[in-house]
Amino acid sequence: MSTQSKIIKGIIYVFLTLLALVYLLPLLWVVITSLKDDAVLMISPWALPERPMFENYSFAWTMGNLGRSTWNSFVVCTITLVLSMVFGSMAAYAIAILRWKLANATMTYFLIGMMIPVHCVLIPLFIQFSKIGLSNTLTGIIIPYITISLPITIYILVGFFQGIPRELFEAACIDGCSVYGMFTHVALPLAKTGFMVTGLMSFVANWNELLLAMVFISKEAKKTLPVSLTKFVGPYNTNYCQMFAAIVLAIIPTVVVYCCFANNIVDGLTQGAVKG
Amino acid sequence: MDKLLRNKKAILLFIAPAFILFTAVLFYPICRAVYFSFCDYKVNYPIKFVGFKNYVLLFTKDKTMRIALRNSLFFLIFSCVSQLIFGLLLAALLTNIKFGRNLFKNIYYLPCVLSSAALGLLWMFVFTPKLGINQMMASFGWISDCTEGPQWLFNTDGYIILPIIVISVVALWQYVGQSMMLYMAQISGISNDIYEAAYIDGATKTQAFVKITLPLIRPMVATAMSLNAIGSLKFFDLVYNMIPEGFLGNRAHVLATHLYDQAFKYNKLGYGSAIGVVLLVMCLAVTLFINKVVKCENYEM
Repeated sequence: MSTQSKIIKGIIYVFLTLLALVYLLPLLWVVITSLKDDAVLMISPWALPERPMFENYSFAWTMGNLGRSTWNSFVVCTITLVLSMVFGSMAAYAIAILRWKLANATMTYFLIGMMIPVHCVLIPLFIQFSKIGLSNTLTGIIIPYITISLPITIYILVGFFQGIPRELFEAACIDGCSVYGMFTHVALPLAKTGFMVTGLMSFVANWNELLLAMVFISKEAKKTLPVSLTKFVGPYNTNYCQMFAAIVLAIIPTVVVYCCFANNIVDGLTQGAVKG
Repeated sequence: MDKLLRNKKAILLFIAPAFILFTAVLFYPICRAVYFSFCDYKVNYPIKFVGFKNYVLLFTKDKTMRIALRNSLFFLIFSCVSQLIFGLLLAALLTNIKFGRNLFKNIYYLPCVLSSAALGLLWMFVFTPKLGINQMMASFGWISDCTEGPQWLFNTDGYIILPIIVISVVALWQYVGQSMMLYMAQISGISNDIYEAAYIDGATKTQAFVKITLPLIRPMVATAMSLNAIGSLKFFDLVYNMIPEGFLGNRAHVLATHLYDQAFKYNKLGYGSAIGVVLLVMCLAVTLFINKVVKCENYEM
């Protein structure tokens, strides 16, 4: 390697490292600040806390209603995850493997859904759901969440199902497998990565969804995590450090999930996207 | 085999749940929203058909709408351009290094999976006069006192106000990872032979990037850009969480916050629906436009 290209490499690494700091330092700052008390924060904003104040967390957890809303978010996301994968994989199987004339048209129909902002359906859905008593229930946000997760789930899974060699289905057919058996015994096990990807993507998206949950849920006991966080908005709120604790509590689950599956998300997202 | 796969009953059974849900929860409500947008509609009042009145009001009388439209268009253009530039830059740099590539990639992608609501709060604190950036500037001696530094989130001067610019930079910070990932995926799909041939012909790295990489990732530019465009038009969480309600009057509205206020705070459901329809039309138009202009033809890879 020539000296010139070594210097360029060096510059690239310096730039990337600085940028990485721009990403990590704010997050680190939140964690550190969440362990201080307000007086210390004002005097020395960047010093490490002398004595970590874990009280901030217990305060945010109970007074900020974060315990309850974390549980709600968890319930909503898990149910949505399972149902959207079940419905999505069934539809993807019908589109990718089964043979019928309108398969492509149906796919387009689902894909248009990706372009539609949820804001447009907010008002009609809200009216409809209040009429049938679904507002202020978790079911009322699970149903739209499943629907919103469907297009991307179907899109990615169709890609994975089409990647399965046709011969496998033929072999299963000769062995006497029914069309339903092919779904459960051939298609599903071979699209594991696809499920991983779509599952993580829909989980993360729904965990973070704010607008719909805010409109549909006004009862304290049913609020999801992002909605509970909006309470903390406003610069004249006292107790900064407790708010920082709330922020940390809100992002920890996704950070943990991300750290476990980062490479899977990234690779799978890539596969799904490139196929389009 | 073929007969098995043409089983009408099975097809219907497999497609039905998703199709019904999709139609009932997404397409039917959109038709209703279009209908509502032509009506005067408030909760507990009967629906009254008023024709184009909502739209006329929206585009002629409503000052907040003009601001919201302006801010949303600013978000749209800013995010499309900046994400294209930075996304490509990061993707190009990361594909050129080996050591630590995954680490950097994962760090830059991290904020994409975090809650915008939480990150909005975090950045609000960073830009609050008493804390964060201003405190840092004061400790370096650039400004004499925290409160005298720039009022990042409260300055309302100018055509596009400072808080909106700050928020769009935060949005860039949060979502640039996504564009980067998409571009990286496409770049790593390009066969090495092409580059080798170019280097043998005496091309430099920059030339190879401009002449080979850029044309070959063009389809992905269209995809990534449409995602950005829709995302920036839908923008809600960051604006809602970084600017406390009522602080800047109507100066910091975007389409989504305007819709939320009109429909769910002032109970004007018909009017809100009209904003929703405008938003929908904009999303579809921008996507079509980007795909038409950017995605001219597919090269053989």
